[in-house]
Amino acid sequence: MTVLDRAARNRVRLGAGAVIVLLGVILITWLDLPLSDLFTVGFLSRSLQAAAPIALTAIGGLYAEKSGVFNIGVEGFMIFGAVNTAALTWLIGGETAGQGALWMAILASLVVVSVYAVLFAVLVIRYKADQIVAGLAVWFIGLGFGPFMAVLLWGSRNSPGLVSVDNLTVPGLSELPVVGPLLFDASPLVLLTVLVTVGAWVVLYHTRYGYWIQAAGENPEALDTAGVSVARVRYAAVVFSGVMAGLGGAVLLAHAGSFTGTGDTMVNGRGWIGIVAYLFGNYNPIGAAAAALLFGGLDMLQIQFQTVGIDLPNRLVNLFPYLAVIVVLTIWGSTRVPSSVGEPYESEE
Amino acid sequence: MLKMSFIERLAVSTVATVLALLVGLVVVAVTGYDPVVFSRNLLEGSVGSEAAIARTLMFTTLFILTGVSVAIAFRAGVFNIGVQGQFVIGGFATVLAVLKTAPLLPEGTIGGVVLLIVGTLAAIVAGGVYAAVPGILKAYGGANEIVTTIMLNFIAIGAVGWLVEGPFRGEGQSAPNTERLPEYVGLPQLIYDSPSFSIIGLGIALAVAALIAVLLRRTSFGYDMVTSGHQESAAGYAGVDAKRMIVATMTVSGMVAGIAGAVFTIMIQGYYSDPAGIGTYGYDAIAVSLLAANNPLGAIPAGLLFGGLDSAGSYIGISSDVPAQLIDGIIGLVVLFISAPELFRMAAKRTGLGGDEQ
Repeated sequence: MTVLDRAARNRVRLGAGAVIVLLGVILITWLDLPLSDLFTVGFLSRSLQAAAPIALTAIGGLYAEKSGVFNIGVEGFMIFGAVNTAALTWLIGGETAGQGALWMAILASLVVVSVYAVLFAVLVIRYKADQIVAGLAVWFIGLGFGPFMAVLLWGSRNSPGLVSVDNLTVPGLSELPVVGPLLFDASPLVLLTVLVTVGAWVVLYHTRYGYWIQAAGENPEALDTAGVSVARVRYAAVVFSGVMAGLGGAVLLAHAGSFTGTGDTMVNGRGWIGIVAYLFGNYNPIGAAAAALLFGGLDMLQIQFQTVGIDLPNRLVNLFPYLAVIVVLTIWGSTRVPSSVGEPYESEE
Repeated sequence: MLKMSFIERLAVSTVATVLALLVGLVVVAVTGYDPVVFSRNLLEGSVGSEAAIARTLMFTTLFILTGVSVAIAFRAGVFNIGVQGQFVIGGFATVLAVLKTAPLLPEGTIGGVVLLIVGTLAAIVAGGVYAAVPGILKAYGGANEIVTTIMLNFIAIGAVGWLVEGPFRGEGQSAPNTERLPEYVGLPQLIYDSPSFSIIGLGIALAVAALIAVLLRRTSFGYDMVTSGHQESAAGYAGVDAKRMIVATMTVSGMVAGIAGAVFTIMIQGYYSDPAGIGTYGYDAIAVSLLAANNPLGAIPAGLLFGGLDSAGSYIGISSDVPAQLIDGIIGLVVLFISAPELFRMAAKRTGLGGDEQ
């Protein structure tokens, strides 16, 4: 496929993107905003940190949906990932938990979340649960048992200050302009997210397993005929999506340094935003990560607004990502979903 | 789930609830509390005293209304997950309308009744409009309503939260609350001596459930709504504009959520506070509706069950060490079990208990 073909296919997408950028530029010139103060390296670095959990969740979610299962429960899996990491950090390291405890907790919480994800996959694939209802249930269970665990451990819906992940400085590379401070003197979890994004793209489009995943969602009969178990591919993709959302929650916690369980917990819609990120990115891991960066940037605008002296109330600026999601969904609403999403597949045997 | 008989649905709902409660008891035991004491607290907290019963019926009132709101949409094949936001916007509109209109009217019973009507109408309009937005975006923009309604929940909570913190904070309020509604605006206490429950509120909820049941079953508008959701092509042949029906469905659903918001404001709270701290009635309503197989009349017993659970939850939070959030988790488990009727069918087959319907 040539670049032109691709451009033609994505004409609406590109056009709408151009309109958004143009509106942004008009707004900025109209308000006469100091651009260089608004878009700093610090802002980009904060945006990357905010984007990482969303990107990881989005990549997991798109794998599940590509394979034919709509994992709408990623928001819930994120809550599990965050609260389990917090709880395990505290249980391993106590009040003075260090980096070692945090990393062990992240790994252990992924194991725990993978068990939940297997249960969810069995319910959805083996027992043909309604994917939307079951996914909502995962969210509600997270909203209930997440704070429950926090109250159990700390007597409050919020944890005390635990530990946040240290920056990783790569000697030499960190001296590079812009890229250096963004990737090589930054949270190792941001770097991990970049690697996962690229890896997920390669696997999906350039390996046999990636083709199986796509076939499971587009044409399960063909995959079955080719002698590959549709159920097995879907199990793998759904468990992967749960674990990635769990990792997203863990990353969110590791960047924040403590668990917040009030309201809709610290995850606060990021899983849902992750779903929109992969729709926006047209089911492409790199596109999804780019969309996550957009939402992450909107999430971090507050600090930028303060530095350039725009006085907007916190609570309203915090709503930008949600508004952006609605705009994006309305313009991109007609994204083509894989044709067999949501349908349980019954093998002929 | 549509192909099930009434008995099957009832069985699934019952087994799902019992199973979720059992898992809850296991969690209680595993975390080192006494399941027997917890069970006793559940009963005491929901029906153990007159105060408990009044509290149960107060929550029941809200769950019937929000549950019916969800049921309307689900029945018509539209996933309105935004009842929480519509409930908040509706309730806040009630406060605004009553506070703005009160100075124009005489104080006393007559003024109070007029203000009740004004406040409720404001909530119905606000809830309906706020729900129509995702309906329009879905019908004409193809935007998935599950995601847009959830985003609108966050936006409603954030925006109203900001409004009660700043522009609409009552004079001299240290907490971010609006001014109180005038004393004479409220529902009379006829039976229970509880400041936040009136049997009239429950009556309104029952009447709305009955009205919606009639609307869906006995009117051509209701018939078009349900069929266009499930058989779009058939509805198209019959000359029904499916897109307009989506918007209509969302609007009616949001209007009922608005009534729930008005009842919450008038009967329970008497002012508006930061909605981040208000109960998640709009989310629990999804469980209520599913438990009721999306039947508006079924929302009455399902609402009673959840009213009891929530009431027990607030009792447990005060009188025992078990974190009350457990109740929210149990509600989530109910939804999870309901999502997979196949699970029960297979279990029934394996154990030889029925399951011969197929």
